[in-house]
Parts: sequence; C-alpha cells; structure tokens
Amino acid sequence: MHRYLFVLWRPVQLLPVLFGISVLVFAMMRAIPGDPARMLLGVRSTPEAIARIRAQFGLDEPLWLQYVYFVRNLMHGEMGKSIIYRVDTLKLVDARLPPTVLLVAGSVLLAVMIALPLATGAARHRGRVLDHLIRLVSTIGLGLPAFWLAIMVILLFSVSLGWFPVSGYGSDWLERLHHLFLPCLTVALALSAVLTRNLRASLLTELQSDYVTAARARGASENRIFWRHVMPNSLIPTINLLAVNIGWLIGGSVVIETVFAIPGLGQLLVKAIVSRDYMVVQGVVLVFALATVAVNLLADLLTVALDPRVKP
Amino acid sequence: MNKRFRMAAAGLMLALGLVSEMAQAAGVLTIGRREDSTTFDPIKSAQNADNWVFSNVFDVLIRVDNTGTKLLPGLAESWTISADGKVYTLKLRDAKFSDGTPVTAADAVFSLTRIRDHEGSLWRDSYTIMDTVVAKDPRTLVITLKTPSAAFLSQLALPNASVISQKAVAKQGEENFAEHPVGSGAFSVKEWLRGEKVRLVKNPYYWEAAKVSLDGVDWLTLPDDNTRMLKVQAGELDAALFVPFSRIASLKKDARLVVLLDRSTREDHLLINHTRGPLGKVEVRQALDFAIDKKAIIDTVTFGYGKAANSYIPEGALYYHADNLRRPYDPQKAKQLLAAAGVKNLTLNYIVNAGDEVDEQIAVLLQQQLSKVGITAKLQKVDPSQSWDMLVAGDYDISVMYWTNDILDPDQKTTFVLGHDSNNNYMTRYQNEQVKAKVAAARIETDGAKRKQMYIDLQKMAKADVHWVDLYYSPYRNVTRTNITGFHQNPLGRFTLEETVKK
Repeated sequence: MHRYLFVLWRPVQLLPVLFGISVLVFAMMRAIPGDPARMLLGVRSTPEAIARIRAQFGLDEPLWLQYVYFVRNLMHGEMGKSIIYRVDTLKLVDARLPPTVLLVAGSVLLAVMIALPLATGAARHRGRVLDHLIRLVSTIGLGLPAFWLAIMVILLFSVSLGWFPVSGYGSDWLERLHHLFLPCLTVALALSAVLTRNLRASLLTELQSDYVTAARARGASENRIFWRHVMPNSLIPTINLLAVNIGWLIGGSVVIETVFAIPGLGQLLVKAIVSRDYMVVQGVVLVFALATVAVNLLADLLTVALDPRVKP
Repeated sequence: MNKRFRMAAAGLMLALGLVSEMAQAAGVLTIGRREDSTTFDPIKSAQNADNWVFSNVFDVLIRVDNTGTKLLPGLAESWTISADGKVYTLKLRDAKFSDGTPVTAADAVFSLTRIRDHEGSLWRDSYTIMDTVVAKDPRTLVITLKTPSAAFLSQLALPNASVISQKAVAKQGEENFAEHPVGSGAFSVKEWLRGEKVRLVKNPYYWEAAKVSLDGVDWLTLPDDNTRMLKVQAGELDAALFVPFSRIASLKKDARLVVLLDRSTREDHLLINHTRGPLGKVEVRQALDFAIDKKAIIDTVTFGYGKAANSYIPEGALYYHADNLRRPYDPQKAKQLLAAAGVKNLTLNYIVNAGDEVDEQIAVLLQQQLSKVGITAKLQKVDPSQSWDMLVAGDYDISVMYWTNDILDPDQKTTFVLGHDSNNNYMTRYQNEQVKAKVAAARIETDGAKRKQMYIDLQKMAKADVHWVDLYYSPYRNVTRTNITGFHQNPLGRFTLEETVKK
C-alpha cells in the first residue's frame, strides 16, 4: 500500500504552486489596462461614480493589501465579491463548475472510446489499408478547428437529422446526456486523433519488445499477449498525454461552451476578463489550477496501478 | 473488447438519438439572447441585457409607449406638477406585487430613495435632483425636486427606477432579493440558472393580467450568433435577438421565420478629440464629415439595413430634427477645407476595438476614405476596456463609438454629449459656451413648443460645429417563428411581452 502514499503528501507540495498561481493571476489582472468600475457603470459613468464603486470594492486600497484581503477571504472559504454580479465568486463557480466537468469528462470518455479501438486496429494491422485509413483520419481530425467542426456537427445532427438539440444543457440527467453529446463529440474527435496516434506508436514499440517474443515462445495466444501485456504497458504514456490534454481542455473549453451555450466556467472566465471582474478571474483560474493538478495526480495513480515497477 | 466498445458506442448514439426533445410547455415563449442577466436588483445594473428583463418583471411609475415617444400611466395612474415645476404629486393605482401584497406609496418612496442614496446604486447621480420623496397616504406619492427638470417624468420610466417591494427586500435580504425579486410586472422570476437561462412565469397579481396571454417566458443565454440563429431555425426557440446584419437576408427567405427590424435609438458616430492640434479647427472637422462616405459604410457594415445619421438625436426620437444638415460625400470639398485651414499631411491616431468585427470593418473603410483627402489614419487596435480608458483620458484623435438612449427625453444624451459636464462631452472635449447654456436652459423649459425649438437649435449648432461625425442609425434585429405575434421591441429596448401571443 505504501506505493500509493504519495497521494497524501502531494497536496502539501501543491501549496506553493497555488500560491504562485494566485500571485501571478492577481498581478496580471491588475497590470493590464481597463477599469472594472467603468465597465460596471457603462457609458454613462462619471468620474465621481467610478471613484465610489472603486472604494466600495476596495479597489482604491494598496495592491498588497488587496492581495492580503484575497488570501484572507480564501481562508474563510470565500473568493471575493464579483463586481459585475455582486455575489461571492464561489457561488458563481459552484453553479458553473458541473457543466464544465461533465463536458470534459464526457469528451475524454468518448475520445477514449474512439481512440482505443482505432489504435488497436491500426497497430494490429500495421502497414495495411486499415492502418493507413486510421492514420489519415486521425491526421485530419487534428487539423480541424473546433468552432468550425462544432457548427458542422450541429448542421448535420441537429438541423438536418434532428437527432440532438442545437445547444443547451438540459434540466435532468437524461436531457443532459442528450444535450452534451454533440459538444463532447466535437471535443472528442480532435482529442481522439491525438490519442490514437500516440497509442498506436506505443503499441507498435511494445509489440517489438523482447517480452512479447518470450511470451510467444512460451505459446501464449496473441490475444492474451496483446491485452494482458502489451496494452497495459502502452497505456502509460497515453495516460500521461491525456492528463496534459485534460488540463488544456479545462482551460480551452470556452470555445465549445460558447458555441453550444453550455453554462460553464470557460464562459464565465471570458466574460470576467472582458469586464475586468478581478475576483472572478482569480477564483476561476485557481479552480482550473486545482483541477489540472488533481487530474495529474489521478494520472500518476493510474500509472502506479498499471506498472508495478513504478515508484513515485 | 474491440467489438464491445464499438457496440457500446453505437448503442449510446442510438439511445440518445431516440430521446426526443421535451415538448415545450404551451404558452411559454423562449427567447435566445447573447448575454445573461447579471442581477435582479434594478439599481445595481447599467446593462441593457438586464433592463430588458427588468421591464417585464418590475413595473415603473410611468411607462413609455411602444413608439418610444410618449409617456403613459404605469403604477401611477395620474400625476400633477406644481406651477414652479418642482413638486410632482402622483396617484398610484390599485396594484399588487407578485407575492400578492399591495403596491403602496411607501414602496415607491423606498425604491426612489434607494436609487438615489444606496451605496451600491449605479444611478445615484441621475436622481440626486430629488430633494424629498414622501408618501402622503398609501396611494399618494409626492416628489419635490431641487431644481425643475422637464426630463424628470421620463426618468421615472427608467427600468432601474422600478418600484420594488420594501417588505420583500427587508425579509429576504438584498443579495437574495437580487436573485428572487418581488416586483409588480407582467411576469415574475421563477428560476435563474446563471449562464443558462432566466425563467419567468405569468404574475397572476399583475394589474393588467387579463391582457397577458403567455404563461411564461424563458430567456436563454446563447452567446454564439450562429448557434442562436440555428436554434430558431431548428424550432428550438420562438425568438432570437441580435440577428447579425449578414444573416438578415437569408433568414428572411425562411418561410417559417419573421425577421423584425424595429426602430432603435442606436447611433454610431465618429468621436473627434477637439483638443488635438488641427482637430480644434471647425474647418478640419467639417472636412472629416465631407470626406466620409456614410453610404459605403452602411452598405458594407449593415448590409444596407442602417440609415445615414444627421443628428445626435436618433431618427424618430423626441425632438429629432429631420431636416438637420447632411453634408454630402465630397472629397474635393474636404480637400479645399483642409487647404483653407492650412492643414497638410494630417495624421490621426484612430483607436479601434480589437476583435470587434464591425469596428474593424468601419476602421478599414474610414482609413481608405480619409486617405483620398490626404489624411493618414493610423489604426491602433486595443482591447475594448482599454480603448475606453484611452478615450476618457483623451489619448486619441478619432474613434468610433455608439450610444443607445434609455429614457425618451433628449436631456440625458444631450447633457452627456453637449452639456459640458464631467465626462468632457462624451470624451470629445468639445467646447461651446452657447451650446452649454442652451442645454441647461432646455432642461428646465416647461413649454413644449419652446423646448422643441431649443433642441432643434442644439442639433443645428452641434452639426455646424461637428462636435462629432454622425455615421448611421441602425434598427433592432430580432427573428421569431411565424406562430409568434405581438413581439415587438420599443426604441428604448422594452419588449412587449404582455402583448405577445404564441399560437
């Protein structure tokens, strides 16, 4: 069991990372030009009104003090009041987190469901038509821009065929599955292309290892060799690649969220950046950072489980 | 394993595909819009997206009619104004809030003092003109102004000055009220799923409830223009707002849809910084006006759906002067004016909002047009909130901006644009003492005919001085399915949802 103990002390390692990220976001938001009070008040703003709003949100305090308040709020389980929405950022994050998590999880699941059979097929039929076809398709998948692909998918499955709704999030679980299928598919198409190519390469490398030859010499069946030995070993680099990509997906979900009108964190973040809603930007970026770290931790756990030789 | 995965994938696709969309409840109108609401506390927002929903959840003392030019009784069924123009006495009608409690003069006092005094109010400056607000009896509200103002009644029609329930605010607390408001409008907020939708249900206690046909209204947030249009085409929405100009023609061809181009108060204009060298000379500013081909801009940017602007007051709005001067597109004349002013090789710093398609299109066109009269426009693309800072600081020569009215009286915009108050005449730094005096005089003139003449004079004076270059007016662009009738947006942005019918 001690092989898994790193799970316990990883959060301790995390603290300096989170501290660094919070300072960075705090400083970057205030370094770029633009004034949240002016964005809130709109075109009719007067200098007096701007000064009043700035004071109300503590934006007239020295920067170091504003940072101290931010950290103090975090200690109290608050993220600071949103300037635009006038509620604590945590409340906004709380409402917006589930759609993004579902979108990312669904996309990953779908991508794995696509990539696994494709990579297997390609590796086991190396150099034949099937292999070339799969490699061609995955190369194309890599090149398609997400916003374009999204519109094409909507035109085909929603407008022409009428199988799925154009956009939205749904109100119960069944509806949610129905609504999120197309956005997840759009993300999965690009993601599975990366995974397929990577997994295919790993499978081919492993298939040429000595242990495969040894197993064959002992008379093990091809299927047993492939699924019991080759596949688990090949999955390790793919899992780590996937972890990196999930981190990127969490932050990059905004394009898909916008096209499919999914009320997720990506949309919240973009609106917050445009309106210079400092507290919301800080809060959402912290959540993204936490999520990325958590995903990587999960990937490490899986690696340890798959390969007995690995000692983290 | 291989086969199993494929089977599972196919099964999932099939299962999901067969689950059909839940049928929409009869009589619930679904509207797709770009932005989500930010709050339901009327004093804490200055966003159009909020006001458009406020109008159907809250009621105001005095309303604006569907043409955007007349005031009608709202919660106040009648009113009188004292001879000195300072004391307004309003009689409230027998109306109820969405929780069934009566709307009293005390609620109106609470709401109006709140917008004037509350530290979170974004509208304090506009209401400091009220000296006292008193409930003489439960049905009589008396407002005394510090100085007379002809625009005051219009100001009472602003959605931000809606009457809200004092008891509900006290009971729920402000933050909770901002999500679960209690108003006296045609609908009340049933549910607000942030970032997704606002669900309104018919308010049975609304004083005109008999008029309302819809059972409810769902405002969906659909930020992507393509998605919003596809959704109404696919029949998943009854109406969609902000049809891109480029899509109007193709949507008009769709027999299942009706494209509505309702008159708005939006005017796009070219701001000129009068304190920048030659731009201080009126001949140079006139040359800019002659050098700009408004029709070319309208054809390219609005696909011909805009109209050339000739006044800072939008077409059709109160006191709009239709015969105001229109300087034709005349590059030769522009060159002559520049030569007469002794200006050669003029280079202008033009602030453009990066990422704003329309702004960037106009910038390229203007750059070409100005180059024909020997003016070099250097485009500086910056983030929108940064560009605003630069305009306020006077760190620019020219830039395109727009304005939409939120009250029907011209005083608000006139004061902002020509009144020489603390915003430097909407960042232009325009100076004209005669204009300044007339703006102040027009504000307190109570004789309608005289007042109208003053605003006509102001429009002429501003045009003569070229305080900015008027570019174009553009309509609201909405689309509905053909089974929707009575869906209209008045020039101030209010939707007539109480008159909308879904068959």
